[in-house]
Amino acid sequence: MNWYEIWTELWPTLIAIGIILAVVPVVGLYATFVERKLAAAVQDRLGPNRVGPFGMFQAIADGIKIFLKEQIIPSHVHTFVYMLAPCISLMTAMFALVVLPYGPTPVNYDGGLRFVVMPGLDISLLIMFAISSLSAYGIILGGWASNNKYSLYGAIRSCAQFISYEIPMGLSVIGVILVAGSMNIETIVASQSSGDGISGWNLWWQPLALVIFFTSALAETNRLPFDLPECEQELVGGFHTEYGGIKFVLFFLAEYTHVVTVSFLTTLLFFGGWHFPGVPSEVTASYGILALQMLVLLVKVCGVVCFIMLLRWALPRFRFDQLMGLAWKGLIPLAMLNLVFLAVIESLEWHRWPLAVLSVVLFVAAGYWSAWQSQSFVRKASVA
Amino acid sequence: MSTAETPVTQVEKKQKKKTVQWGDDPKIGFVEALYLPAIAGGIATALKHAFFKKRSTAQYPEQKPEMPPNYRGVHRLNRDEEGRVKCVACYMCQTACPANCIEIIAAPAPQDDPKWANRDKFPATFTIDELRCIYCGMCEEACPVDAIELTSIYDLTGMSRQEMIFDKEKLLSVFDETSKAGLDPVRTNRGALGPASEKSLQSADSPPPPGRGKHG
Amino acid sequence: MSTVFVNDIEVEVGPKDNLIQAARAAGVEIPHYCWHEALSVVASCRMCLVEVGEKKPDGTIAMGPKLVPACQTPAKPGTVVKTETAKVKTGQQMTLEFLLLNHPLDCSICDQAGECYLQDYTFKFGKAQSRLNEPKVQRLDKYHIGEQIALFTDRCVMCTRCVRFTREISGTAELQVVARGSVEEIDVFPNKPCNNKLAGNVVDLCPVGALCSKDFLYKKRVWWLKSQKSVCAGCSTGCSIEVDQNEDHVYRLRPRANPLAQGHFMCDEGRFGFKYVQSDNRLKGPTSKSINTVGASVNAVTNGNGSVAGKLFQPADLAVVDHWPAAIQEAREKIKAAVDANASSFAAVFSPMMSVEEAYLLASYLKGLNRNVKLLMGPVPVVGEDDCYPKNVNGSAPTAEKTKFTIRAEKCPNRMGVEKILKHFQGAVVPIEEAIQGTHGIQAWYFVGGYATPDESAGWVTPAIEKATESAKLLIVQDIFPSVLSKRADIVFAGSAFTERDGTFINHRGLAQAFRAATRPPHASRADGRVLNELCQRQGLYNTEVLRKEIASKIPSLESLSVGDLGVHGVELQQLVGAYS
Repeated sequence: MNWYEIWTELWPTLIAIGIILAVVPVVGLYATFVERKLAAAVQDRLGPNRVGPFGMFQAIADGIKIFLKEQIIPSHVHTFVYMLAPCISLMTAMFALVVLPYGPTPVNYDGGLRFVVMPGLDISLLIMFAISSLSAYGIILGGWASNNKYSLYGAIRSCAQFISYEIPMGLSVIGVILVAGSMNIETIVASQSSGDGISGWNLWWQPLALVIFFTSALAETNRLPFDLPECEQELVGGFHTEYGGIKFVLFFLAEYTHVVTVSFLTTLLFFGGWHFPGVPSEVTASYGILALQMLVLLVKVCGVVCFIMLLRWALPRFRFDQLMGLAWKGLIPLAMLNLVFLAVIESLEWHRWPLAVLSVVLFVAAGYWSAWQSQSFVRKASVA
Repeated sequence: MSTAETPVTQVEKKQKKKTVQWGDDPKIGFVEALYLPAIAGGIATALKHAFFKKRSTAQYPEQKPEMPPNYRGVHRLNRDEEGRVKCVACYMCQTACPANCIEIIAAPAPQDDPKWANRDKFPATFTIDELRCIYCGMCEEACPVDAIELTSIYDLTGMSRQEMIFDKEKLLSVFDETSKAGLDPVRTNRGALGPASEKSLQSADSPPPPGRGKHG
Repeated sequence: MSTVFVNDIEVEVGPKDNLIQAARAAGVEIPHYCWHEALSVVASCRMCLVEVGEKKPDGTIAMGPKLVPACQTPAKPGTVVKTETAKVKTGQQMTLEFLLLNHPLDCSICDQAGECYLQDYTFKFGKAQSRLNEPKVQRLDKYHIGEQIALFTDRCVMCTRCVRFTREISGTAELQVVARGSVEEIDVFPNKPCNNKLAGNVVDLCPVGALCSKDFLYKKRVWWLKSQKSVCAGCSTGCSIEVDQNEDHVYRLRPRANPLAQGHFMCDEGRFGFKYVQSDNRLKGPTSKSINTVGASVNAVTNGNGSVAGKLFQPADLAVVDHWPAAIQEAREKIKAAVDANASSFAAVFSPMMSVEEAYLLASYLKGLNRNVKLLMGPVPVVGEDDCYPKNVNGSAPTAEKTKFTIRAEKCPNRMGVEKILKHFQGAVVPIEEAIQGTHGIQAWYFVGGYATPDESAGWVTPAIEKATESAKLLIVQDIFPSVLSKRADIVFAGSAFTERDGTFINHRGLAQAFRAATRPPHASRADGRVLNELCQRQGLYNTEVLRKEIASKIPSLESLSVGDLGVHGVELQQLVGAYS
């Protein structure tokens, strides 16, 4: 392998990495801006509107301010781990992005411009999950190093929450993998193509998996209604109580990166990626078509991001026992049942429509079960 | 619980134990158990507010709020018709002030100045610490000559603590500002100075001021 | 003694008492303006009108047909006084309405407001409204009444207490009533202002706000002032006084009636002479030659800030290091060394400004070190001769039995007390002037000052003392103002004035009176008693009651102090005649 070959291999990778590194922080900053605007709208306010047109530069002003802030390291913390934690947090968040195609990518990539750092990887989804489960590490380190009981509570909650929600998340995604027959994200996207560009989306065939996946993903990102590790009212901010300035921003950025990652995953796995009615489903070399497909993908992702933000202002926070109950008593059994029936149907090589029916039936059955449980279960007035 | 527990308190404790009761979780029906309708309801409420409700934000510096007439803002020292400070340095406001923010130093009125001929005492200095003040309006209530009043100025700011200690000149300038602008007419509005500050009040042809009783 | 019935309360009264005093004994207040215990009776204000009757021997009561002035009616046996009948109440209301007819009602700017009998009686006995529809008579203020006195003419109720005072007590008769009827006024003769040495008393006597002290005019509203019972340190009369202060600033002294001491009044020298206690020139903290820093920072910090009296502690004051322990420690060591070297060459000079307790502490401490230590009596300031009042028409002093007030020539409060201490510890009182004649051989000095001499050039240190201490090996000065000695001293203790200390003064005729601290000593100076208490390394805090009992148990001539608490009038060392009553 000569230098030229290495270079032809290398430059698309470098560009892809460069795009991620350049775009993600900006997206993180502007996500805060969008979130504030959205929150203001929901609460009948105007939101930031003083810096630049419509307050557009508010995010930049905040960024400058927070970067210029004094770096304070509390005297009681474990300095090294304290400094390391936000770095790990952001690093794992960004690292998860390496297998995510943020633009149309063919299944069989062979050189040239591309929109993913690691193309054509057969286990890309596995890598994705392996890395994103690391993000709990940063939070736990931060909470522990802060040497503060509230921060530690936040970290422990985070740990428990991550472990619990990893399970339904994985189980729900296995359905998608089984249907597509691959753990390669590009293949999964390709498997959702259809003539009309919309009927092939996994959304239609596995709505239950989508609900479970999305719920778990919210919990994994520490977003409301599952932001127990950082709830201000109970934990004075949780694991990041002792963090300020740029270190806090790193945690913050990691959270928003997670939101973006989750939105991408949801789009790619369930909303057909860059497939859309009227848009060619094959990934070709035509720049016009590529741009169109990319636009479709990004619009879908933005939609999901906005939905996550909207949820924050629509739903109240769970109590911790409710949070755990939902994962262990609701999502995990449901996801397992879904998986079993799905495996049966797949192995019989039936058409996909029974899958949709199965989802609805399971969901309704779970609802009935839950309601029946609630009605019949009478706790004795017991002694404390 | 104290360390020395009598048998009686122990008995009480045992009885108390049973008084703690579990509250049952609320019973939920089928639709509620599905979660999704409730979530959709929440989102619908959020969207309704986002798109169909009027924004209640006031664009403050451009859009000034209108203060109610009894709003208690920055103090001012009123002037009488001759432009002198109305205050007679009786210390009533300082006595009434619960925050100890008023400090007056009184002096005999300048006797060789004909302008001050009918006044005995006046405030040589009159200082209010606007930061210490709690804006309760007791000084206004206490003043026998309607000299101190709270205006509707609410946006009091400064760059230093020293700056927020208002002296007599500053307080008089607040009066000049507010009375010129017509923002705050003399609020107590009794129409005349009290007996201690004005001689003409005592003349037979001038009617007694309203609200002061017939005989000052 | 005679029995009088006031509102059906039976009281025993003296033969010379009038009905106001009888009612007072019964706990009933009869309002009055013109009557004063120390002045003659004129019954002009008509405020004390009451119903009077007589209880016949057969038990029947015959009330008089009309109201009579209580001040002018002697309390003879069987007199029945009614102060709460409708008739009396109406009378009081009408009298007050009349007195207030031309009153300007300028309480808001009146210095008397808060301690004004017009206010108090109107509140208690008056009616709320006046029926006057005509314009009030307005009169000009008179600032020419005296150097210290201003007259706000239209506040006057013509009680003539002030006129009677200048005629009966001071004998100078400057004040008079001019004109009659509704234009009646108090005034002086042209170019003959009321400037006698007792003139300040007319301000206290005035029951309303007509006569005001120019010195106190508009300085402070009286309800801010906190009073402390004290004793004037101006002369050896030892007038009982109230020290009125606010936020550590003394605003005025007022006489406190004390039949054992001076009567009802005090002189202007004492009344206005307290100003030195808040002079900028005061010593501000302990200084020491060997430890240069001691006190230097104190004076640096507080210099130019001296007029902060009336303010609370300045933040800068709090930053000052407390140099007292080091200074006292050093003084103790040096005194010990000097006494050990040669006790008879060590002399302590006691000031007649010291209290009995302070003198006792210092004397017992030094004599405890060595019996041969010399205790000397410091300079006793004497100015002129005793000034007796009332003056007669020629302006000369009255005879002794007619004297009602005396300003002593001896301008110190406690010569007798200090002398009794010195006599006890040393057998004889040796004045310093006597001790330093010729070759005295004294090498080490402990001087106590405390004289009211803010002006350094007119200080208490005579040239002879200055010369005698020139070659001193050790010089410790405890004083309140800088002097030649304090500049040369090895160690200077900044003491405090009489308004800042607790103690006992014994006046010229042997009346021991307690005085209490009204304010805190300025800056880093300390009460002398506290300094000496620490110098002696006594257990506990400086406590005058404890010390008085200790002194009484050790010194027979001061046995009367054994009561500890001397009360408001003081305790006479032995029963003496000639007390004012």
